[in-house]
Amino acid sequence: MALMPKRVKHRKEQRGRVKGNATRGNSVAFGDWGLQTLEAGYIRGNTIEACRVAATQYVRGEGKLYIRIFPNKPMTARPLETRMGTGKGEPDHWVAVVKPGKILFELAGVSEALAKECFARVAYKLPVRVRLVPRLPSV
Amino acid sequence: MAKEADLKLATRTALGTRACRRLRRNGQVPGNVYGHDAEPVAVSTNSAEFRSLVLSGVRVFNIDVEGRTDKALLKELNWDAFGDEVDHFDMMRVDPNERVTVHVPIELKGIAPGAMGGAGMLEQPIHELTIDCLAYQIPTSIPVRINTLEIGQAIHVKELELPEGIHVHAQPDAVVVHVVQVRNTPEPEAGALAGAQPEVIGKKTEEAAK
Repeated sequence: MALMPKRVKHRKEQRGRVKGNATRGNSVAFGDWGLQTLEAGYIRGNTIEACRVAATQYVRGEGKLYIRIFPNKPMTARPLETRMGTGKGEPDHWVAVVKPGKILFELAGVSEALAKECFARVAYKLPVRVRLVPRLPSV
Repeated sequence: MAKEADLKLATRTALGTRACRRLRRNGQVPGNVYGHDAEPVAVSTNSAEFRSLVLSGVRVFNIDVEGRTDKALLKELNWDAFGDEVDHFDMMRVDPNERVTVHVPIELKGIAPGAMGGAGMLEQPIHELTIDCLAYQIPTSIPVRINTLEIGQAIHVKELELPEGIHVHAQPDAVVVHVVQVRNTPEPEAGALAGAQPEVIGKKTEEAAK
């Protein structure tokens, strides 16, 4: 089942523009390794679910996966073969808006080699370029 | 004990956002040095050298600001959006024999037997501890041995083996690391809630309208 919010204030939203880099959620906070996006984009709820399945199947209970994004923006679509006009389309799916630098997923309790291989599988499913990053040193 | 390194700092007279951006473009990183009843000084240093020192775990620096030498503790680091470059740093002058408050990472040693075989999973809720100790006593990390940790067992803050004179600023009962049972949550049926939409806040239902 794709992810979506339980309650919303409005059924439909305008798209807006994705500008700048991530200023929050841009460092590894819970795990040891993070998957960081290098591009801005929209990540659909079912893509996040596919990534979760790919990662958990690969680590098989060895490590813990943290999902740092949630699809809270509704995207509308028009039915096929309908004419233009008559207002905005109906909500079709939900997306998470990500900016460059955002940490999408984190892994805890695994080695670097395993995290690298696991996130390589996850990266295939994502519509943005990503890279593996370690936890930053504490000060 | 924490690693120490020598660092040459240059004072900077041009202050503000634009001057700092110019410095960063030229391979420098801006910072501030303060403390010990002396005037705060705006400084800069080589970005690549400073970054490599920080990543190697150095927290106490023997700084040289235009001929004046001091011992300084790294108090704050600002990274860029990607965590690649240091944007700014704050250092506090310290006396080696004065007590300071620092964050020290926790380092897990060994392999937990409970986390092997797929039945248990190692979780570490706390990755760093806030401690106070003498400036020359700052440990690089706090080692935690997890060789005997079975499923359902935990290591708390009060059970940590700390060097003499170090005081931890955390609840003694806080869990540092534990092994939990892997939960096999059933996968939701595909399409069970397909087409479901979230509740709209404030929208009147048909019954309420009547």
